[in-house]
Amino acid sequence: MIKVKQISKSFKDTKVLHDISFEIKRGDFIAVMGASGSGKSTLLYSVSGMDSLSSGKVLFEGINISAMQEDELSGFRLSKMGFVFQNAQMLKNLSVFDNIILPGLVAKKESADGIRKRASELMKRMEIEGIEERDIREVSGGQLQRSSICRAMINNPEILFLDEPTGALNSGATDQVLTILEDLNRDGMTIMTVTHDPRVAVKARRVLYIRDGQIAACKEFSLGADRERELDEWLKGF
Amino acid sequence: MKLLLNLVRKDFKRNRVITTALAVFLILSALLMAGGLRVAGTMISSLNGLNELAVPPEYLQMHKGTYDEEAFENFVETRDYIKDSLIVKMLDISNANIIYQDETLEKCLMDNGFVIQNEGFDFLLDMDNEIAEVKDGEIGVPVYYAEELGIQVGDVITLHKDNYRKELTVATVIRDASMNAALASSKRFLISQADLDEISIHMGEWEYCFEFLLEDGTSTAVLEKDYMDAGMPSNGVALTGSLLTMINNLSYGLVAFIIIAISILLIMMAVLCLSYIIRATMAEENCTIGEMKAIGFPGKAIESLYQIKYIILVLAAGVIAYLAAIPFGDFFSSSVIRYCGYGSGEWMKWVWPFIGVILLSLIVMLGCRRIIRQNLKSTVVELMRGEEMIKKQGHYALPSAGLKHRNLTIALGELKCIWKEYSVIFLVFVFSSFLILLPMNMKNTMENPSFMTYMGVGESDIRIDIQSSEKLAEQKDAAQSYLEHDSEIEKYAIYRNGYVQFQNADGEWEYSRVENGDESVFPLEYLEGSAPDDRKEMALSYLNASELGKEVGDSLTVIYRGEELLFTVCGIYQDITYGGKTAKAAIDFDDNDVEVYIIYLDVCDGVSIQEKTDELRGILTDSKITPISEFVSQTFGGITDNMSLVEVAAIVLSLLLIMLITVMILQLITAREHSAIAIKKAIGFSNRDIRIQFGIRILMIQFVAIVVGTVLANLWGEAIFGWMLSFMGASKITILVEPVTAYLLGPAAQLLLVFITVIAGTKVVRSYHIRDQIME
Repeated sequence: MIKVKQISKSFKDTKVLHDISFEIKRGDFIAVMGASGSGKSTLLYSVSGMDSLSSGKVLFEGINISAMQEDELSGFRLSKMGFVFQNAQMLKNLSVFDNIILPGLVAKKESADGIRKRASELMKRMEIEGIEERDIREVSGGQLQRSSICRAMINNPEILFLDEPTGALNSGATDQVLTILEDLNRDGMTIMTVTHDPRVAVKARRVLYIRDGQIAACKEFSLGADRERELDEWLKGF
Repeated sequence: MKLLLNLVRKDFKRNRVITTALAVFLILSALLMAGGLRVAGTMISSLNGLNELAVPPEYLQMHKGTYDEEAFENFVETRDYIKDSLIVKMLDISNANIIYQDETLEKCLMDNGFVIQNEGFDFLLDMDNEIAEVKDGEIGVPVYYAEELGIQVGDVITLHKDNYRKELTVATVIRDASMNAALASSKRFLISQADLDEISIHMGEWEYCFEFLLEDGTSTAVLEKDYMDAGMPSNGVALTGSLLTMINNLSYGLVAFIIIAISILLIMMAVLCLSYIIRATMAEENCTIGEMKAIGFPGKAIESLYQIKYIILVLAAGVIAYLAAIPFGDFFSSSVIRYCGYGSGEWMKWVWPFIGVILLSLIVMLGCRRIIRQNLKSTVVELMRGEEMIKKQGHYALPSAGLKHRNLTIALGELKCIWKEYSVIFLVFVFSSFLILLPMNMKNTMENPSFMTYMGVGESDIRIDIQSSEKLAEQKDAAQSYLEHDSEIEKYAIYRNGYVQFQNADGEWEYSRVENGDESVFPLEYLEGSAPDDRKEMALSYLNASELGKEVGDSLTVIYRGEELLFTVCGIYQDITYGGKTAKAAIDFDDNDVEVYIIYLDVCDGVSIQEKTDELRGILTDSKITPISEFVSQTFGGITDNMSLVEVAAIVLSLLLIMLITVMILQLITAREHSAIAIKKAIGFSNRDIRIQFGIRILMIQFVAIVVGTVLANLWGEAIFGWMLSFMGASKITILVEPVTAYLLGPAAQLLLVFITVIAGTKVVRSYHIRDQIME
């Protein structure tokens, strides 16, 4: 689905990503791990086209999105990708519900009624019904992050990018979000997430470990119960 | 201190655009303040200097025809309050007989008199403010003509009548303390005694100016009454020193007044912007301030840290503005310097701007300190919570039907929630639009022929003045019989003007001009009441009514030829002619008492006013014939020229302000909304979408501001203009708007400028990235 070919990214004189290549298959669930400053978030933004590349290219179903102009790319992201950020970034002047439906109304893939119906269904699925008209500062961190996932899903994206989705949540809220991600992936949603939390990574099928802007290791995990122990063992090697 | 300066330097580097815009704002307001005061200082110095050297009369009475010289000398000798007196013999030469560069001066409204240099007082000065001297064959030309016609030293003025021709070489340009201004309807040329004697044989009519200097503390009203009571020669215009001062102040002071008024507006805007910027900066710095307080930084030190930046900015702006005010002020003072010279108090143009800049700096610095102190009052916890302190901004709802015009919907929705943040830019846009329109509307009103309704007469096409002659009645009859048979003239009316005595508020009897004629032919709009209907009614001009303390319905006694006449005040009208003090009543003036006949006329449809004027000039050669539009424009010539300068300056300044404030606000708002911008980009809005949304917000605010500014310019403009002209006699002015410029071109130019500025100012949106948002 996505082919990442020898991408590099520099900020002024500092090279953050070096020659990274990998592939994301449809239905994949990839977790990117690494120490702070290793370049894992930069990798996510580079792959999703949110950030420009210094060199290399990213092919989305054969289309070179690295060569797209910013405005063209934003339209592409709107219809094909969903994003979830660490702090559930939302617009302050819209209610929770309007924040969720906004990308749907902008994309116009469906009728307004269809989008509202879909948003309600997503909220129901995320178990956050009843907070629709609330201000984003009036709901809990977990509710907000689940709202943020609803917003990311509103246009039925082909891939979901998440940057530390549980970084700002308590353990109860983290569990809720993880369950949702697992469910979504089980239903066929492709997911790429950046995390430092092994509880998130353990839900992934594949983990990339980034060190000094390079893929230090990549591992696929089996679907068995030993997955958690297997990941622990693997991470100990870094 | 070094640490503080280092911090300031870094702050300036980091906020380069905002700092620059703020500095320009401060420089502009200080420049206008200093420039306006420099113009005012120069004007006062120039006028005082001219008056000191030229010693203009305190009372001047013009007269044509014979007079009893012995009676005049007796009159002067028996009045101990008369310090000095003078009879100026002036040879009035028709404009048709004066030729410059193959053209006569017929198009000029001025009456032209040829004189020799006076002795004692009322000197005509040269351009070095020395008493001017001309030799035989030379002429001194009034500075008014030098300015209007471009006459220069060395040029030749030809006097021509029938077979007589006299060429005079311009030896100097003349400053005349009595008749300098465009508002004064007579101008004096200086020639030698021999030339005057020679010319008088061939052309012209003698007119006499009886001039007086009074002992300190003597009112001109006392002299005026005595003079009239004594039956002294008085068939011409009478001018008092105060009227001359007012004419000069109005001619030269208007620009200084408007510049200072604009600078006050600008200072208000600068203070508004400054307070907004300080609050915005302080809001972002709350956490840092909290940390400094937490580690025990003294409040004074924190205050200095944030204040020093603005002190440096204000002081730098003050110095730059003071220096820039020198050429700026001199440019706007050039007219008064040309007309009056540099004067005796040049220190004023250096000291006043200095005091102005210091005052402005103090106002700004104290304002900064107050805002900074208010911010520092918060506790450490309140400061460090930062975000929680931000008040809830409110919501807007997305339309249930979907986003047909997504950028418009979102821009308007956000504007609804955060309109308070745009209050400063809104006010600046209102001020700017006001600033553009006010001088424009004022100038347009003054240039419109209907402005003559403020000159005490209804609208008409052409004015004929028959005055200063011993054969007034014959000239009037000749004009009347011609007009009667001219089929191209739709209507005309003849007004006889003479003087009667009114009792002023101090109980003194003063002479005022009264007009007698058919007021229904060219009906005038009255402030109150209506025109006189019968012989028992009298209408008063606004200033006359104010000074006499009369209202409609009051009774009024006047004295004519020693006889008391009782009238009822039937109406009050506006009139800025003759010092604003006139009246209208059916008084049967004796032919000998008529000072002037004025005929107003309308030509039939399709007849050219200019052609009819030329035709009448050829026939009624002894009368002054002027199209009304020319009469108004020449009467206010100097003022409208100055207004044009002010108009251009106001437009340039306002557009610059609009651009600056837009850049500044965009910089602040995009920085403040960088999180929302990043989120929008992440969920699929393009850079273009976001820039359009900013554009809609700002243009929408500007549109409303232009509407408000336009309404204010129309409402307040009338009040301001009325207030300015109330000193001359017109208190209620209806502003005349030129709709295409005021309602279409002006707003379009402002909107276009902001549109372009938004395009440039929102480029920064491209650099806002969700990554930065996350990393913070």
